[in-house]
Amino acid sequence: MDFFNSMNVSASALSAERTRMNLISSNLANANTTRTPEGGAYKRKDAVFAATPMRDSFDKVLNNAANRDIRQVKVMQVIEDQNPPRLQYDPSHPDANAQGYVALPNVNVVEEMADMINTTRSYEANVTAIQAAKGMAMKALEISSK
Amino acid sequence: MPIDGIFNTTIDLLGKNIDLRVKNQNLISSNIANAETPNYVPKSLAFEDELQGALKGGHKGTPSVTDPRHIPLKGTKDRLQSVTGRVLETPAETPGKDGNAVELENEMTKMSENQIMYNASVQILSKKFAGIRAAISGGSGGN
Repeated sequence: MDFFNSMNVSASALSAERTRMNLISSNLANANTTRTPEGGAYKRKDAVFAATPMRDSFDKVLNNAANRDIRQVKVMQVIEDQNPPRLQYDPSHPDANAQGYVALPNVNVVEEMADMINTTRSYEANVTAIQAAKGMAMKALEISSK
Repeated sequence: MPIDGIFNTTIDLLGKNIDLRVKNQNLISSNIANAETPNYVPKSLAFEDELQGALKGGHKGTPSVTDPRHIPLKGTKDRLQSVTGRVLETPAETPGKDGNAVELENEMTKMSENQIMYNASVQILSKKFAGIRAAISGGSGGN
């Protein structure tokens, strides 16, 4: 049914935005982490989104042209920001180098907060889209019900 | 009175309109879902003119009916059914740095517009059926 396509697309976006929100939380939580299992300071992580066609079943292949243009969103990969770490002079820190500088994560807290607001708004927009599709489906049931 | 007189083209037209509005809703949700995807170009369904053409006749080379005594080569009903709409790319004038051309405000506006038009069609269709029901029951409002 057509309404479920619309809802599935929005649901894919909700899940992608949630993944991004998790990464933002991780970045904020580790804004000052100097030790990681990979060694060195924590590196900022970001999700790469890609638009993928909704053609996972035979039924959908048979759908008409209008449905072929529908794209759901997927998190293709999680990348690590390769920008250099922030260096802070603190000779007393156990992770300081020979010159007395500590390598801190390349996380910009202000940038993360802005990303967080962006993610929240996108999430809300998709929730609204789901509600709209649901409202339309329910409205269709009202036809000829007095 | 022929049965075509009761279920006239209005019902077909409204049904097709509802159908196409759902397809448009699918495209709009796709645009909203991909509001953060790099290089995504939003799409929308244009069908109003095509639907109007199908109603008037003379659409896509079909001879138009300009006189009630003309015999249409293809009925209005078939013409209405064959309307599929065209998928248009509607990129924003200033795409972002990542090549994404979705404007969320624009898409939300299009979505509510689409929803209102859909609800209006459903409402009119319901009233249409209610009118027929009233005629069947002799206007007594009985079931």
